Amino acid sequence: MSLSELLRMLVYVVGVMAFVGLNAAYLVLAERKGAGRFQRRPGPTEVGYAGWLQPVADGVKLLCKQLIVPPGADAALFRLAPLLVMIPAMMSLAVIPFSETLVGRNINVGLVFVFAFGAINVMAVMLSGWASRNKYAIISAARVVSQDVAYEIPMLLVVITMLMATGTMNLHEIVQQQAGWFWHWNLFRLDLNPLMPVTFIIFFTCMLAETNRAPFDMAEAESELVAGAFTEYAGMGFGVFFMAEYANIVVGCAMTTLLFLGGWQSPFGVGSGVIWFLLKMYAVVFTVIWVRWTFPRTQFYNLLNLSWKILIPLSLFTLILTAVMMKVLRA
Amino acid sequence: MVAREKLSRLKEKFGTAIQRADLPGAGRLFVFVEPAALKAICQHVFRDLDARYIISIGADDRPFSGKFMVAHNFAFDKESLLTSIATYLPADNPKVDSISDVVPAANWAEREIHDLIGIEPVGHRYLKRLVLPDGWPDGVHPLRKDFAWNQVPEGYDDTREFKFDEPPEGCTVVPFGPFHPTLDEPAHFRLYIEGEMVRGCEYRGFMVHRGIEKLAESVLTYNDIPMMAERICGICGCVHNVAYAQAVESAAAIKPPPRAEYIRTIMLEIERLHSHLLWVGLACHIVGFDTLFMQSWRIREPIMWIAEKISGNRKTYALCVIGGVRWDITPEVKDELRKLLDKLEAEWTPVVAAVSKDKNIQKRTRGVGIADRALVKNMGLVGPVARSAGVDIDCRRDHPYAAYDRLDFEVITEGGCDVWSRVLVRAKEVFESIKIIRQCLEKMEDGPLQLTIKDELPVGRLGLSSVEAPRGESHHFVITGENNRPRRWRVRAPTYQNLQGIPAMIKDQQLADMTISLGSIDPCFSCTDRMETIDLKSGVTKVWTQEELLKLTRTKKT
Repeated sequence: MSLSELLRMLVYVVGVMAFVGLNAAYLVLAERKGAGRFQRRPGPTEVGYAGWLQPVADGVKLLCKQLIVPPGADAALFRLAPLLVMIPAMMSLAVIPFSETLVGRNINVGLVFVFAFGAINVMAVMLSGWASRNKYAIISAARVVSQDVAYEIPMLLVVITMLMATGTMNLHEIVQQQAGWFWHWNLFRLDLNPLMPVTFIIFFTCMLAETNRAPFDMAEAESELVAGAFTEYAGMGFGVFFMAEYANIVVGCAMTTLLFLGGWQSPFGVGSGVIWFLLKMYAVVFTVIWVRWTFPRTQFYNLLNLSWKILIPLSLFTLILTAVMMKVLRA
Repeated sequence: MVAREKLSRLKEKFGTAIQRADLPGAGRLFVFVEPAALKAICQHVFRDLDARYIISIGADDRPFSGKFMVAHNFAFDKESLLTSIATYLPADNPKVDSISDVVPAANWAEREIHDLIGIEPVGHRYLKRLVLPDGWPDGVHPLRKDFAWNQVPEGYDDTREFKFDEPPEGCTVVPFGPFHPTLDEPAHFRLYIEGEMVRGCEYRGFMVHRGIEKLAESVLTYNDIPMMAERICGICGCVHNVAYAQAVESAAAIKPPPRAEYIRTIMLEIERLHSHLLWVGLACHIVGFDTLFMQSWRIREPIMWIAEKISGNRKTYALCVIGGVRWDITPEVKDELRKLLDKLEAEWTPVVAAVSKDKNIQKRTRGVGIADRALVKNMGLVGPVARSAGVDIDCRRDHPYAAYDRLDFEVITEGGCDVWSRVLVRAKEVFESIKIIRQCLEKMEDGPLQLTIKDELPVGRLGLSSVEAPRGESHHFVITGENNRPRRWRVRAPTYQNLQGIPAMIKDQQLADMTISLGSIDPCFSCTDRMETIDLKSGVTKVWTQEELLKLTRTKKT
């Protein structure tokens, strides 16, 4: 391995970590500011200019707190769980192309890579619940597992649909296929599958559920389960879970952008670049925040009903439809 | 007259078991009966005459008549009659037949009498401690007259624990409270969970120990008590303040001047407005919908400002004294209040329209926390919980007090028996309150705010008062006494009855629905826990100020 390659790797690792860290910190602020505006109040304003240093203050506060491992908890697993939530999000970002040239590793199975690491998330939350030895945490862990399993299925069915439509698992190529005006984006490719917008909505819903965001925040449901799986975590242990939630949102929104919204491609066919990727991604992130403050939390059983009775049959149908269309079009 | 007719029916059926009766005025009936016939009479009144159970009161009457007293209060809502069926018990080893198997709603009240007065309800099936802390020594009853208000009982045992029932087969016990994000005040529910289903629960509450009733009958005076009474509850304090004053006025046959009655009405309705808006916010927070939570609290805030303008305080209004009120509604406040009501109506109308069409909120609340007519009757549930089950009761109309008999308003009922109906009832009651305040401002006549009371209040009279709090009926029972203070004052907050309905409301429901079911009765634990006695190790000789008492509520031991 040459020195320049090593240097590139180092820069990229630092870059990804900084990107995740900054995003996690400032998305929290964006969420709080956004929530404030939705509710006709200003949100945090005290720390720094218009509250811009609030995440720093929050971080310092969390860092100063004692990390408590409750007696009876499995200390090793208890400490491991936050890492297991954070690391997959960072790993995923290594293969996500920000632009034509800006990518950590352009590998052929990028699509599978991201979803494989995304699945670790479930195990980490389950571990945290189990290791805490707390009833709220265990109920929450059980909920998270059944919720994430339920939503993993329609999500992966959608991914298979996309895979069939694009014919590649390389994220770079998937985006390249969507070059040109915005009707070349997968979202609008009705010739591949007339139900493409529906597929998009299924994917987006599953993404919300997978990242445990309201209205699907069963894991935390503070009015029922105190803080769910994170009840026993103090200080930065909790902080890491909190940041990982936003890191996972970033990954989820990035994947939405890549698969459906044309990645770094400009909607007008010219001037493509990283700016378009970031614009689209943050637009999706904003939608995620918007949804949270618009809908009440669903009950757990309604959540599972939604997945098993509506989303899975629908996504199966789009999958079959795509397959049939491909056969018909090719023939 | 209704009271006379009820009395003659009772006399017809029970003959000499009715020792004497007292009909002090319209809408009140006191019947004194033989202890042995108490249960049968209560059963007849509750089941055959279809009265609504309010509360049971125990009193230590030994210094005056040498006996203990137990009274069961019932209401005939359609006939505007409040009645009290009382009996006297011998001074040593007092026992009374428990009525809780025929009137299930009396469960807590009888346990409370057992704890605080030491009268044993014979045949009670669940005679665990209700009010006293677990470590309190057996056989010491703080509301007896020979127990001084500042006495420290011997033998307090910190290590003693409450004996909970065994959970049913296959269930896990999940503790809910005393510290939990949806509980603003301490209470403990031991939930029996099977998977995600709640199979039952056991309640242990009464963790806010203040000893207000004991202080009232041993330290405070008639006109001190209203100020203490409103500190019973942080949200519907004015209700207790007015209810107490009215109970004493009813015992002493005092009629406050009309202007005072209108001002009382206005303040009660202002309180209902801010309480209902607060509840809508909290309920939304419980179902994870913080946006409406913030919105409804924003709409609520100006109500607090106008309350401050009238009384000097956002919450504790210090409104009533016996025979009148202390604050006037000046012409400028009147104008401001009118403007505020217009603004409130303009802002609340779209919120109600949006909420009543929202599918998501309906999905979360329909068919959840069912309290049907039978449960309302058996557990004596009141207020929006009863009205959401189509039980048309409202003390403002049924037992009119203050200026309500001169006002025109509707009692909102719904038929869903669920949380959704309770949301609708409360949301619509806001408009009725606005209507009531507008009429009061219109009709209010000039005149004095208070009566000048020169004579001492008569001794040994009984007074009842029911006031419709935002959460339901608040009922106060007073026996007037010597030294310018009552002998006995019993407060029954609406949550006291509504909480007893909770185990039935959450049974066989999802855990996710438990919190909103509990939230839907708008529980107010401080109200319910209002009594209990003096702190254990402190202040043996000094006179307690209110600040010190407040401080006491915040530290477990001083």
